[in-house]
Amino acid sequence: MAATPSSKAKTFQSPNKTPTNMYRKSYLSPSSTSLTPQTPETLTPLRRSSRHVSRKIDLGNDPIDLPGRESIQEINLTPRKRTTDVVAETLTTPKTKKKKKIDVEASFSPISPNRSETITKKKKKKKRVYYNKVEFDETEFEIGDHVYVKRREDANSDEEEEDPEIEDCQICFKSDTNIIMIECDDCLGGFHLNCLKPPLTDVPKGDWICQFCVVHKPPPLQGKKLAKRTMREKLLSGDLWAARIEKLWKQEVVDGGCVYWIRARWYIIPEETVSGRQRHNLKRELYLTNDFADIEMECVLRHCFVKCPMEFSKASNDGDDVFLCEYEYDVHCHSFKRLAQLVDGDSDSDQEWNGGKEKEIDSDDEEESVCADSKSKRGLTGVNTKGRIFGVEKVGTKRIPEHVRCYKKNELEKAKATLLLATRPKSLPCRSKEMEEITAFIKGSILDDQCLGRCMYIHGVPGTGKTISVLSVMKNLKAEVEAGSVSPYCFVEINGLKLASPENIYSVIYEALSGHHVGWKKALLFLNERFAEGKRIGKENEKPCILLIDELDLLVTRNQSVLYNILDWPTKPNSRLVVLGIANTMDLPEKLLPRISSRMGIQRLCFGPYNHMQLQEIISTRLKGINAFEKTAIEFASRKVAAVSGDARRALEICRRAAEVADYRLKNNNKTAKSQLVIMADVEVAIQEMFQAPHIQVMKSVSKLSKIFLTAMVHELYKTGIAETSFDRVATTVSSLCLTHGEAFPGWDILLKIGCDLGECKIVLCEPGEKHRLQKLQLNFPSDDVAFALKDNKDFPWLANYL
Amino acid sequence: MGKEIPAEKSLNLIRGRLCDPSFIFRPLSASSDSNYSKLKFIVSTSITEGCNNSILLLGPRGSGKAAVLDLVVGDLLEQFPDSVSVIRLNGLLHSDDNCAFKEIARQLCMEHHLLFSKMASFDENSHFIIAMLRECGLAHKTIIFVLDEFDMFAQGKQRLLYSLLDAMQSVTSQAVVIGISSRLDADQLLEKRVRSRFSHRKILFLPPSRDELDGLLEHLLSLPADSSFPSGYVSRFNDKIKNITSDRRFKDILKTFFNAHSTVNSFLKFIFCAVSLMNLESGLLSLENFKAALSSMQRQPKLEAVRDCSVLELYLLVCMRRLEVKEQSSYNFISVMKEYKAIHDSFQTSDYYAQNVCIRGFEHLRERQVICYAENRGQSQTGEYRPMKLLISASELHQGMRSHACCPAILLKLLDH
Repeated sequence: MAATPSSKAKTFQSPNKTPTNMYRKSYLSPSSTSLTPQTPETLTPLRRSSRHVSRKIDLGNDPIDLPGRESIQEINLTPRKRTTDVVAETLTTPKTKKKKKIDVEASFSPISPNRSETITKKKKKKKRVYYNKVEFDETEFEIGDHVYVKRREDANSDEEEEDPEIEDCQICFKSDTNIIMIECDDCLGGFHLNCLKPPLTDVPKGDWICQFCVVHKPPPLQGKKLAKRTMREKLLSGDLWAARIEKLWKQEVVDGGCVYWIRARWYIIPEETVSGRQRHNLKRELYLTNDFADIEMECVLRHCFVKCPMEFSKASNDGDDVFLCEYEYDVHCHSFKRLAQLVDGDSDSDQEWNGGKEKEIDSDDEEESVCADSKSKRGLTGVNTKGRIFGVEKVGTKRIPEHVRCYKKNELEKAKATLLLATRPKSLPCRSKEMEEITAFIKGSILDDQCLGRCMYIHGVPGTGKTISVLSVMKNLKAEVEAGSVSPYCFVEINGLKLASPENIYSVIYEALSGHHVGWKKALLFLNERFAEGKRIGKENEKPCILLIDELDLLVTRNQSVLYNILDWPTKPNSRLVVLGIANTMDLPEKLLPRISSRMGIQRLCFGPYNHMQLQEIISTRLKGINAFEKTAIEFASRKVAAVSGDARRALEICRRAAEVADYRLKNNNKTAKSQLVIMADVEVAIQEMFQAPHIQVMKSVSKLSKIFLTAMVHELYKTGIAETSFDRVATTVSSLCLTHGEAFPGWDILLKIGCDLGECKIVLCEPGEKHRLQKLQLNFPSDDVAFALKDNKDFPWLANYL
Repeated sequence: MGKEIPAEKSLNLIRGRLCDPSFIFRPLSASSDSNYSKLKFIVSTSITEGCNNSILLLGPRGSGKAAVLDLVVGDLLEQFPDSVSVIRLNGLLHSDDNCAFKEIARQLCMEHHLLFSKMASFDENSHFIIAMLRECGLAHKTIIFVLDEFDMFAQGKQRLLYSLLDAMQSVTSQAVVIGISSRLDADQLLEKRVRSRFSHRKILFLPPSRDELDGLLEHLLSLPADSSFPSGYVSRFNDKIKNITSDRRFKDILKTFFNAHSTVNSFLKFIFCAVSLMNLESGLLSLENFKAALSSMQRQPKLEAVRDCSVLELYLLVCMRRLEVKEQSSYNFISVMKEYKAIHDSFQTSDYYAQNVCIRGFEHLRERQVICYAENRGQSQTGEYRPMKLLISASELHQGMRSHACCPAILLKLLDH
């Protein structure tokens, strides 16, 4: 190891001012640095260069970014030099060891952004051993950890840089750990509570801004302060990189030694994005980029902590190395996007169930598997859509809209957000019994050594929490699997309404099990082999499979073969398949062929509609801690919904609508209304809107002749007692009505047009107008509604006589 | 083109206004109670708060649903230029799920400069849409789906609506589905699980009140004073308009018009008609223009058809009417001919034509839809034997014959008794 290919090192050390060389430039060993004085230009670190390359491809952005970049570098250089001078003699323990190591294994690290070089590298190096966790310099590094990475070479060479873990107080310039320090939310400076004027005893809640920031004056500077810049300061001023470890591996070098490598995913500070620092950016905010690089472990300084906003707000005492990251930054398109796993709440760990500590793969093998992987992915998306599925990732905003970040929600808006159907509730009230039953069923099926296939039919009207109950049961189970108390299984979720055709379900299941996309006939063949004969699919081991089929009734085909096949598999001896079917109708098994109902109808679970108490509980658990609703208003809404359908979605939507109505009302009335709460009247409006067809309002506002027309229809209905009538008759009645009450009769053709207009709104049902006199007409709403709408009409008081 | 005469110019200006929905609906939507501000509030809060919503715009045809929506969407695109994308579908074109998915994918691709493949299957498109919804949600972009003729989407299995509304239940998506329909019971058409996922915001478009329409009329017709018109012309024109609108007869015309029509669109059509009839010599509107416009709006095609019939055709119609009075529910050409012959025999009219002439007259009547075959069945039978039906009523026939230029007196008598 010590004897690194010196020729190579030399080539790099040789005056490497050519631009091509610059891209390959990497961190040199300290000894070499001392030999060749590096100019700032050549020091352009690798990530830069890779971005540089990419930028060259998409021209046009160049002029925006380049000047800023250079200026940053120039600024950075000056203080660094000083640092080296001042802290030269102080030695800290972790660094020393590292130093030695570096001296021993002085190697050049090819942090190459271009793929070709890494590949050639791999050819040379024999083996790569991948780890999930590595101990290096007495610190553990794990996949997914966040670390500081040296940005420039002399950052490495300024030997014994002290790494002040504890920040100095900005007033007394001492770092005393015993006294509580408080951080200014503006300048991020630390202050001892008792150094402040007046001294504070407790950390205040909410934002706190120091005395210097209040008057917009920088705190008194001292040379000492510059000397002791913390890593955080360096990172935020662009002297360090932060990265996320994506992969860890050990690579053997020719002579038997080995080097630890990581694949780093870079973080970027807001200043380095195209849009620069924006007003809403927080001081400690970073962006995750989609830029990767393989770097040597040497460059890693130590851990830092990048957190999502939720955790960030909690992590008040975690020290100085805490950063906030909410967005992803695409370095090619220069666009922002929220981090998906943060939004989803439950981040799905991609780790394998049986995630072995070490995987040893021959480098060639690995290369192949990478190829295979990408190939299968391509197959999965289909040749046609390949470009698009890749393209989807490019979607992003050029600029994060300000309203999203700097927006303080009031109570009503909070209520609206939590009442959204999309918001997953933290707990599912009122469904514990059903969930227990599902859990017992699944556990009973998969915990059995035999793992007998079973099948369960879940039914209930829409909005009673069927799917979400099953999903939350599965989530709990997954947690148990991770804890190790339940053996692993695979879970496939299918929605019948989202399949193009019922037969497609075979390909979807097969794809979920094996990762390959095949036609449904072939998939059926494979699945039959898998479930009926017990053959394995691909690498999949003997895991039991849980199949959740939502909207099961959509799978009913003419000969019902799809349902039969799926429900037949669990009965096979070594299928290890559990089927959960969800549908609305209670009697779906009975409607099917006997051979299917005998397989499906054994175990059933009914989700009854919610009653008003339960609905009330659901709404109030969601609204816990938000004072936005009158209690009676919630009760009113839940009673109304319980009386109609017992659909929780409806109840939530009514409440959300009521909150919207209240919000609208309050925003338009600028004067402060007496209550900021959602009151009964708002709920009433929401219920009206949701449950009432607006026909009465429309009938009240239609033209006069239409009103007479409707009256004539009602009159005709009363006279004959038959709902259906013909235009001939209605027109005669209208003309007689007009005659007796001194209205001008407009003529048959206009009347026909009026009838057709009413028919278009579906106030009346009618045949096409070409049948003219023979056109059949019928009221679409009860005649009482018409009577109610037209009774107190000011223009025609006489209409009431005929209703 | 040289100089335009002011009359032509004003005509063009007013016509341009009439065809510009934003000019018409902007003043109508100023108040906080208007549909415009309600709709804008819902959509803009969904954008700023990053939530999903589904809204139905209901109202009779021509009440300005799509126009107000366009106004709102235009304003929002201005307000949030980067974070709103609009997908437009029409139920008449895309009621087929497969085709709707394809169209959505195409428009999304256009919007985001991606490559659209025509070959993509239903599955791929739906995956793509869901992926896009998610990505756009992550990027704080709201997708507004405008589904015109919403009721057409609510047919069959409603896969499109289900997929959209179901995808909107995930946290990351930010989408607003806006359905436009003239059917008041559009939400009742939804399948129960789709209905359960629908947000049921309903905005009802009602015809404007008379005051609003009066205001609109003035807004439309008065010429601006600061333009390049000759100054005397503008004041003359506006005075004339004021003169007309305060006239009693004009009010009567409007009243008769509003008796039959109540929507904004029909009113605009009426004004357009009147303006187009403007006398270019004087360059001013007159009351006669409105009168003529009213009559052209309220035409009576069937009556006119009877008025234009030949005497023989009138005979045939009268015969059919007589047969109907005799409670002969079903009749065909042969029986009509028999009646015709009977009339001729008893009254010795001068107009007696041979059967082949009559059959020509018969065909004419049928082509003009004054009469029709009673049923679609029996196409194998020749025309003479198929049962026929009269499509106009007795009173219409009577009225038409009265106003006929040369109707024999005997026919009226025959019809009456």
